[in-house]
Amino acid sequence: MTCQQIDAEHWRLSFAEPEALFIVGVLARLGRSYHDDLSQMPPALRAYWQGKITSEKMSADSDLKESQEVLSEARAELRSERLALAENWLREFEITERRNPWTVEATTTERDEFVAMLNDRRLLLALEIGVTEGEMETDPGLITEEARRNAILEIDILGHFILVTLGPQIYHP
Amino acid sequence: MSQVESMLGAKTLTPIRHDIELAVLAATPGTETSPDIDVEEKLKEAFARGWSVIVWNDPINLMDYVVYVFKAVLKMNEKDASRHMWEVHQQGKSVVARETREKSELIVHRLRGFGLNATMEQV
Repeated sequence: MTCQQIDAEHWRLSFAEPEALFIVGVLARLGRSYHDDLSQMPPALRAYWQGKITSEKMSADSDLKESQEVLSEARAELRSERLALAENWLREFEITERRNPWTVEATTTERDEFVAMLNDRRLLLALEIGVTEGEMETDPGLITEEARRNAILEIDILGHFILVTLGPQIYHP
Repeated sequence: MSQVESMLGAKTLTPIRHDIELAVLAATPGTETSPDIDVEEKLKEAFARGWSVIVWNDPINLMDYVVYVFKAVLKMNEKDASRHMWEVHQQGKSVVARETREKSELIVHRLRGFGLNATMEQV
């Protein structure tokens, strides 16, 4: 995968065919997740999508309750927006005549959304299987349970795509 | 310009706060409001930078990604964004902004939109 800046506001993301097929699979699964009814989700996923405005204990009459509701509404809206973007990219892949490499042009906002969506998938996978900090620091090959190993491998691969898209960010004096 | 002032032009995620509306109405000559409303207190609360935005550590978000999000959302430079990222990583949390309630809410929404575990607390 490569990510090239075309101009101040536009980027070209290019995927070799196996990478494209992986990304398309991720977008399809994300699309289902963005579309799913919140009330039917496991508690950890529901909590992720509802968000939490404060770590403080809220009393029944706390006016932060209103802020919490606003946050949950905003996150529901975010899911709809990301569903639309996932569907657009899936449609583009479906109609493209050139899949190796598959090239997508994106605005900076779309690129940010794409990265945030890959990160959604990482976080949702981690919540689904309850990944621990220790597991994230372990060689996935040493994890014996297949489903966990695959999930952690997918989290790692998605991390690689995020880093390629963004480039190095940390300041080194 | 503060780190988050540029965000004022961003898409509004929060509805207009009624307490601010009431305070502004009360401060407008010729406008009737309930005498119970402590206008000064409401105005002070609305415009005071009395809220901290805290980002909490988690095992999944990548360090480079967190730095990128701080730069994109909070308009931090690379050095400050990296410093806050290390603080989150090593101390479990970092106060990344101290703002008015409305701005803090907006920042929490945007950081959470990128998948960071962000909350706001009254100072």
